[in-house]
Amino acid sequence: MKKAIVLILSITALTSFGQERRIEFEEYKLSNGLHVILHRDNSTPIVAVSSAYHVGSKDEEVGKTGFAHFFEHVASRKSTNIPVGGFTEYVSDAGGSRNATTNFDRTYYYELLPSNQLELGLWLESERMFNMVVDTGVVETEREVVKEERRLRNDNQPYGTLIEEILVRSFTKHHYRWPVIGSMADLDNATVADFEAFKNKFYVPNNAVLSIAGDIEIEETKRLVELYFGEFAKGPEIKRESVMEPQQKMEVVDTVYDNVQLPALVMAYHIPAIGTDDYYAMNMLNLILANGQSSRMNKKLVDETQLAVFAGAFDLASEDPGISLAFGVANAGISLVELGDAMQSEIDRMKNEIVPEKEFQKVLNQIENNFISGNASIAGIAGSLANYYLIRGNTNLINTELEKFLAVTPQDVQNAAKKYLKDSNRVTLHWLPKPQ
Amino acid sequence: MKNTYILIALLFLSFSAFSQLDRSKKPEAAPAKEIKIGDYQKFELKNGLKVIVVENKKIPRVAFSLILDRDPLVEGDKVGYLSMVGQLMRSGTTNRTKSQLDEEVDFIGASLSASSSSIFGSSLTKHQNKLLDLMTDVLYNPSFPEDELDKIKKQTVSGLKSNQDDPNAISGNVRSRLLYGSNHPYGEIQLEEHVENISVQDIKDYYKTYFKPNIAYLAIVGDITVKDAKKIAKARFGKWERGDVPTVKYDQPSAPEKNIVALVNRSNSVQTVLNVNYPIDLKPGSPESIQARVMNQVLGGGSASRLFLNIRGDKGFTYGAYSSISSDELVGNFNASASVRTEVTDSSTVEFLYEMGRIGSEDVEEGELQQAKNVIIGGFGRSLERPQTIASFAISQERYNLDENYYNNYVKNIQAVTSQEVKEIANTYIKPENAFIVAVGKTSEFADKMAQFGEVKHYDIYGNEVDPSLAKLPEGLTAESVLNKYLDAVGGKENLAKLNSVKMNMEASMMGQTMQMEASKMAPNKSVMEVKMGGNVMQKIVFDGNKGKASGMAGTKMIEGDDALDLALTSSIFEEAVYLEKEMEIRLAGVETIEGNDAYGVEVISPSGKSVTRYYDSESGFLVRVTNTVDGPQGAMTLSTDFSDYVEYDGYFFPTKLKQPMNAQMKMDISVTEVIINAELPADLFKIE
Repeated sequence: MKKAIVLILSITALTSFGQERRIEFEEYKLSNGLHVILHRDNSTPIVAVSSAYHVGSKDEEVGKTGFAHFFEHVASRKSTNIPVGGFTEYVSDAGGSRNATTNFDRTYYYELLPSNQLELGLWLESERMFNMVVDTGVVETEREVVKEERRLRNDNQPYGTLIEEILVRSFTKHHYRWPVIGSMADLDNATVADFEAFKNKFYVPNNAVLSIAGDIEIEETKRLVELYFGEFAKGPEIKRESVMEPQQKMEVVDTVYDNVQLPALVMAYHIPAIGTDDYYAMNMLNLILANGQSSRMNKKLVDETQLAVFAGAFDLASEDPGISLAFGVANAGISLVELGDAMQSEIDRMKNEIVPEKEFQKVLNQIENNFISGNASIAGIAGSLANYYLIRGNTNLINTELEKFLAVTPQDVQNAAKKYLKDSNRVTLHWLPKPQ
Repeated sequence: MKNTYILIALLFLSFSAFSQLDRSKKPEAAPAKEIKIGDYQKFELKNGLKVIVVENKKIPRVAFSLILDRDPLVEGDKVGYLSMVGQLMRSGTTNRTKSQLDEEVDFIGASLSASSSSIFGSSLTKHQNKLLDLMTDVLYNPSFPEDELDKIKKQTVSGLKSNQDDPNAISGNVRSRLLYGSNHPYGEIQLEEHVENISVQDIKDYYKTYFKPNIAYLAIVGDITVKDAKKIAKARFGKWERGDVPTVKYDQPSAPEKNIVALVNRSNSVQTVLNVNYPIDLKPGSPESIQARVMNQVLGGGSASRLFLNIRGDKGFTYGAYSSISSDELVGNFNASASVRTEVTDSSTVEFLYEMGRIGSEDVEEGELQQAKNVIIGGFGRSLERPQTIASFAISQERYNLDENYYNNYVKNIQAVTSQEVKEIANTYIKPENAFIVAVGKTSEFADKMAQFGEVKHYDIYGNEVDPSLAKLPEGLTAESVLNKYLDAVGGKENLAKLNSVKMNMEASMMGQTMQMEASKMAPNKSVMEVKMGGNVMQKIVFDGNKGKASGMAGTKMIEGDDALDLALTSSIFEEAVYLEKEMEIRLAGVETIEGNDAYGVEVISPSGKSVTRYYDSESGFLVRVTNTVDGPQGAMTLSTDFSDYVEYDGYFFPTKLKQPMNAQMKMDISVTEVIINAELPADLFKIE
């Protein structure tokens, strides 16, 4: 009887979930293979013009780490028709903003413009795609900028190299074993010829998606897209060498010394690729562990026992099988042994006990909230549309991905915990203050 | 007829689609759309609470922001207690424990947070009633649990520890101290000892005094009708009782009369966090603030501004260089900043000061000015996508008594700023000669190069001025660690223990004549030293382990008492081992540059009470200088002996070049010609007759 009530409750919850505001969009391909996604929202006179390329740090060659991101910098500087710095200058001159990001799997560029400047955005993105200029001047300036970015974000920050120290121990073959920012030595070695080769291989319309959201008219936008992008030819088919990471057989335990005051403990487990059933289960497992103040790790480690000042669990959301990290930063005077025991017992609980219905519902509510809030801005929508298409092959996940989470049961989460949260499947890293 | 028009329009459309695009030209903008500021409703409850409602149905969420408008406060010896107020309020009510609050907030996927001057809650609209239950419970019934405060204090201490390593946090501390002084609400720095002073009573007192509706704004933003919002405001916030709230006045901090270069050492830095800054008097909403906004955009407001284009784009010194000018009712500030490579700290400063000077001396070109305006107007337009922006406009309008049309006219007023006004406002507010130039980084690499910008002062990570030579010492370094490194460098403690005797032969030339010297030492502390010139013994000093004797051309003298104690120490083969063994009084005495390298000074108080400072190379660990102060005819003077060119003899390292002072002006160069380890020394060598 009780079970029946729970069932009814979850069905009602299900029907009221995520159905309220659909993100309408149109998508099509140009004859050169460029995928185009359009979303119209006329409430504010701004437009987001973005292009995403299916190339990230995992497509880099050994010895050329950091290249995809370095390329992103170079690709934002100059084209046949745009002088050095024009990408930035024209956008800001138009009252817009622009930026770009690179991750393991893709590179993303966007401009956020007043909507009467839509054409400027299309011109810039098409110049980047077809007429980009790579020369020594641009490469040398950006080399210093990228190295400075590495110093700023990684080398000069406490815990700033944590992710790369995890990656290098988690992966032996797969290119996820190096960080997106790359190594200083490899950044120093990149040549203009490398850029040319990379551009010709990956910066082709058939490897890209153009995602436009905001105050646009659909037909007029289609016409302009054809005008700016249609005249160029398709690029060669991209052959990707997919490297399979062999299964980890034994736990890796190691220590890193850093300029920090508080030690930290990180446990990184191999997990399946984004979009798989087990991925969703592991994603929810992380939310149960560490999303919100009532989550298990926050409540136990930070609040009740005060073993940690900070605790978290997240995954890399990677296209190929990746890793999921649980970590804690120890409170002053707490040893990593104590902290580790407490973290381990939360991990063991995930394996040994079914998550109670109410706690499970809480996480679904949090997911729903995050899902809806992610669509608050047109910049966010343009990015999500591009990403869903490029990495997941299904743009409409922007409306339906919630269902994937709703399909996960507490039993699935426990099964995933048993399957992936094994000692032999992880890297444990002790992050310690440098002895003085 | 109408159809014909459509046909022509279609033809035109398809024609343009096939026409060749001129890619060499930047596309023209379509006619600009008007920037419309969304509507809002404003009303006041009987208790004085001012409510602002912005309706926006784009996503089914609603946010409630309660904001207190009070004067900034000085926290004295309890710095940081204000930052605990909100967290403690959110940590338990008379109805709910912290864990229950957390559980209920998370269950609806909401967020609920509080600070000393705000409470903020947001959730999907369908959960708004529950959210308001929780939010008002925190507002009206906080229970201030003692144990929760203890946790917050513990976390605060841990956070402060992390900040000790964060160059940006260090820079922030030092800057606030320098700009505003420690008796100003913006100039206080939180220290570990402050945390202990904070009690539940402090927080309760604050809550009772300041959480009053008559100094508060409530902004309701999102998927809600004005009618519902009114109902909610009355029902949930109408019975909140008003009360008198004190106001405070402060002295106006001012910019320094001349540039001050403030250096903070962080020896493991690979970058310098560089800030050029000073306090200013600029009020929010004033006509000057609009002109200053445009001027700053030209100078360093964004990635198309001069600082960025120069220091990142042109020089590649940094990942980003920016400036900001902030208006504030109490005191604002100007700040130009970048994290730059250590070795270009001085070059970057040159560029910052150059651009700051240029904006006040040269007219801004019309195109550049228009571009800056476009950036500001574009940003303004984009910000209107967020309904919270409309609410914050409404609150600012009330708070700073802005003109009713301040935001409606904002774009027009930005457009109206002239090149002349930019230059004038820069002359008032941009002060390349009255700034604090704050650099947090590896100061040994750039300290001397920074003197060109102004008086160089050194600070610790909390903004206290420190002795520059000590400031360069790396954190964690101790006198003991310096000595241990030295002992390791010259052979290692274990090896040194096996050392029984050392005999050194030396040569020096003085006034055209050659001198030979022989020095022998035997463990634990016997020594003999003989100086010969032309076959004659000029001087001989012997120490037999207890007493000493000096003889030479001037006669013979026994060495006893205090002097014998000192000689007993210097007769040890490596006297550093004795300092550590006997736990003698030693302390770090700063850093000196010797032969182009940093050397750490260790001051040693000899058994007789004399002070000697010995310098050890920061890299090799070798002893490179011994300095002592002696009484001379013109008063005390410092004499230094330098040691260099260390050479290995049977696993032990000895300097082979010495520079010994003869008097204040003259030094004698001594070269070591031979070192014999554990030689059989004649038994009577150290004998004193």
